[in-house]
Amino acid sequence: MAFEPKPMLPGDTFDAARRFAEASALKLARLHDPAARAAELATQWAAVLELGWAGTLVPEACGGAEGTLLDLAALAEGAGSAGLALPLAATCAVAPTLLAGQDALLADLAAGRLQPCIVLTGLSAEAGRLSGRAVGVETPPAPSHALVAAGEALYLLDLAGIGFTRHERIDGRLTLDLEVQGVPATLLHADAAALIRRARDLGALLTCVEAVAAMGTLIQQTIGYLLARQQFGAALASFQALRHRVAEMYVAYRNLTGLVQAALAEPSWQNIAFAKLRLGEAGRFVAEQAIQVHGGMGMTEELPASRLARRVLMAEFEYGDRHAQAARLLAA
Amino acid sequence: MDETAELAAFRAEVRDFALTHCPPEIRAVVAANGKLGRKHWAPWQRILHAHGWGAPSWPREYGGTGWDQRRRHIFDEVLAECDCPPQYHHGLRHIGPVLIEFGTAAQKARFLPGILNGEEWWCQGYSEPGAGSDLASLKTRAVRDGDDYVVNGQKLWTSHAHEADWMYTLVRTNTEVKRQEGITMLLIPLSTPGIRVREVRTIDSWHHVNEVFLEDVRVPAANRIGEENKGWTYGKFLLDRERLGGANVAPAFRFLERCRELVARQLAGPAHALKREQLEYRLLLAEAELRGARELGKAAVDAVMAGRPLGLMPSELKLSTADTVQRIGAIALDAVGERVATRFRPVDGSGPNAEVEDIEWVQNFMYLRAKTIFGGSNEVQKNVVAKQLFGM
Ligand SMILES: Cc1cc2nc3c(=O)[nH]c(=O)nc-3n(C[C@H](O)[C@H](O)[C@H](O)COP(=O)(O)OP(=O)(O)OC[C@H]3O[C@@H](n4cnc5c(N)ncnc54)[C@H](O)[C@@H]3O)c2cc1C
Repeated sequence: MAFEPKPMLPGDTFDAARRFAEASALKLARLHDPAARAAELATQWAAVLELGWAGTLVPEACGGAEGTLLDLAALAEGAGSAGLALPLAATCAVAPTLLAGQDALLADLAAGRLQPCIVLTGLSAEAGRLSGRAVGVETPPAPSHALVAAGEALYLLDLAGIGFTRHERIDGRLTLDLEVQGVPATLLHADAAALIRRARDLGALLTCVEAVAAMGTLIQQTIGYLLARQQFGAALASFQALRHRVAEMYVAYRNLTGLVQAALAEPSWQNIAFAKLRLGEAGRFVAEQAIQVHGGMGMTEELPASRLARRVLMAEFEYGDRHAQAARLLAA
Repeated sequence: MDETAELAAFRAEVRDFALTHCPPEIRAVVAANGKLGRKHWAPWQRILHAHGWGAPSWPREYGGTGWDQRRRHIFDEVLAECDCPPQYHHGLRHIGPVLIEFGTAAQKARFLPGILNGEEWWCQGYSEPGAGSDLASLKTRAVRDGDDYVVNGQKLWTSHAHEADWMYTLVRTNTEVKRQEGITMLLIPLSTPGIRVREVRTIDSWHHVNEVFLEDVRVPAANRIGEENKGWTYGKFLLDRERLGGANVAPAFRFLERCRELVARQLAGPAHALKREQLEYRLLLAEAELRGARELGKAAVDAVMAGRPLGLMPSELKLSTADTVQRIGAIALDAVGERVATRFRPVDGSGPNAEVEDIEWVQNFMYLRAKTIFGGSNEVQKNVVAKQLFGM
C-alpha cells in the first residue's frame, strides 16, 4: 500500500472540510477565465459562510460556534489538504482575533454580513483618516470592509465607494490592491499592537496547518505519479534517485508536522515563528521537488500536484516569510 | 499539586540532583565538547543507578523509573542543560531492551544489573570489512561444538571495544539458507582467549573504533540470545532501538546553544556582521528542525511505551536529526574557521596545540560526519522510508 497522509486532527470536521475542498478544486480546475474563477469562488464562499465556518471562533452569544483553535485547525487541515483557494485563516482566525470584544462586529462576521479583508501593512492613519497603498491583500470574493492595522491602531474601513483592483495569487486565491488618501475609517482600538501581533500569529499558524496538509497530499500524488509513469521500461518509482528524493520530502514534511503540532498544543509566538520559519524551508523544498520529479507534467497547470505546489509556495509568504520570522526570533 | 506544578517540581528535583551529584570534572568535559569514554560514563551511571534513575527507558520491574514520556523528556532535557553526559547507549538502550524482550531469566539476572550499575561495559560487533550497509552478508562464523560455539572472523568499526567487557555480536551459524536466516546473536566476553582488538583512528584522530579479530573463540551456548538462526530479528529490534537514540534531542539542543555562544563570542563586532548574521540564521534553521524532531521523538517514545509498532519512526528520527547536528557542527567550524583549522591536534590533547581555545570544534565537525554513516547510513534509511512509502 502506497503512502496516505495521516491527519493531525482527524474526525468529522476534517473530513467535511476535505470533501468540500476536493469538490471545490475539481470545479476550479476546469475554469481558466479569471472572471469565471472569481464567480465560482464567490459561490463557494457563500457556501462556506452558510456552513458557519466564519463563526468557528466567535462566541455563542454573538451567534458563533465558540469553538477552539483545534476545531478551526481541523477545518484548515481538511481544507488545506486539497488546497482550498478561500481566505480561511484571514476570515476565521485573524478577523475574530482582531475583533475580540466587539460583539456587534463579531455577530456580523459570524453571520457573513461583515466580510473583511485584512490589511496589516501599507496604510497609515492621521486624525482618523487612512492613507497609503496596500497590495496583494487576500480577500473574500466580495469584501465589505477592510480591517486595517495602522501603526498600533486598528481601524474598520468600509469599502463601499472605495476603488480597488483585483488580482489572483499564484495559488488561485483572490487579492486586492487598495490605494486611499485621507479616507475616514472607524477606530476600533487605539492601542492594538498586542492584538495585531496575536492575530498575525494565529494567521501564520493556520497557514502552517493548511500548508502541511497540502504537502501531505502533494507527496501522496507524487508517489502515485512515480508508480504509474513508465520510462526505460520500468516505473519511475523503481529509480533510487527519485525514491530518495521522495524520502527526503517525506522527512521534511514529518518534521514540519512535528513543529505545527507543537504550535497547536502551545500556540506561543515562538512556537509559531519556528513552524513558519521551517515551512519556508521544508515547504519550498517539497514543492520544488514535487515539480522536478513530475518532469514536464510538473510544469503544467493542469496537474493537481502543480496547483498544490503553488499553494505550498505561496503559504510561506503569508503572515511573515522565513526571513521575517528569523528577524523576530533573533531580535527576541 | 496539579500536573504543571508536579512537572515543574520534578524538573527542579532533577536539576538539583544533576548539579549536586554529577561530578564537576565530568560536566566540564561535556561543557567543553570533549570526548567521552568509560571513565566518564561509568561513574555517572553508577550515581544515577544508586538514586534509582539508572534506566528511565526500561520497564519498572527491571529497574526502570516508571516515568511517563513527559518526565523522561524533562529528565533528558535537564541533564543536557546541566552538561551531564548522556547515558551510555550500548548497554542501556541497545542490548538491554533485547535482553528484556528476548533473554532468558538467567541472562536477565546475569546481565541487567551490570548494565544498570555501570560496572559492565558493552560494545556492538555487527559490522565487518565485507558487511556494512549490507549487514546480512556478515561472515564471522560460529560453529557449535558441545556446549560452546567456536567463533572465527573479524568485526570492524567496533566502537569502544578497547574499553568494553562484552560484545553483543551477530555471527553466521548457517550458510545453506537465505542470508538473514542463518544469523545468530551471541554475547561474547572480550577477555576470551583468541580475541584481539586493534585500534582504528578516525578523522578526528580519536581512538573510538576498532577492529576485533576472533580466532577460535569459545563462547558458551548459554550466551546465545533466543534461538539459533533467529539473530536477524533480534539484531533488527536492536537497531530500531539504536535509531530511536535520535528521540533524545536534548544533547543536540545543548550543542546548538554552545555553538550559538561560540558564534556570538567569536564574531562580535562590525567586521564580522555579515558572517555572524548568516551563521545566526543557519542556527535558527537548525533549531527549527530540532524542534520538529523533538516532537517526532516524543511520539516515538509514546509508541514504545504503549507497545505500538514503530513503523518509520526510527528512520524518520535519524533522518531528521543526523544531518541537522552535522550542520550545527559545520556552523561552528565556520565560526572558528582558519584560526583553529590551522591548529589541529590529537583528540587526547597531547602536542603543541593543546591550549588552543575552541579547538574541539574542528574535531567535532569531523567526528559528526559519522552521524549519517553509522547505525544504518542516511542512504539506507531513505531506502527503508521509500520502500514503505511506495509500497514496493
Ligand atoms: C564512527 C563509527 C562508529 C561505528 N560504530 C560501530 C559499532 O560500534 N558497531 C558496529 O557494528 N558498527 C559500527 N559502525 C559501522 C557502521 O554501522 C557502518 O559504517 C555502516 O553500516 C556503513 O557501512 P560501511 O561503512 O561498510 O559503508 P558501505 O556500506 O560500504 O557504504 C558506503 C556508502 O554507500 C552507501 N550505500 C550503501 N548501500 C547503499 C544502497 N543500497 N543504496 C544507496 N547507497 C548505499 C552508504 O550510505 C555509504 O554512503 C561505526 C561506523 C563509524 C563510522
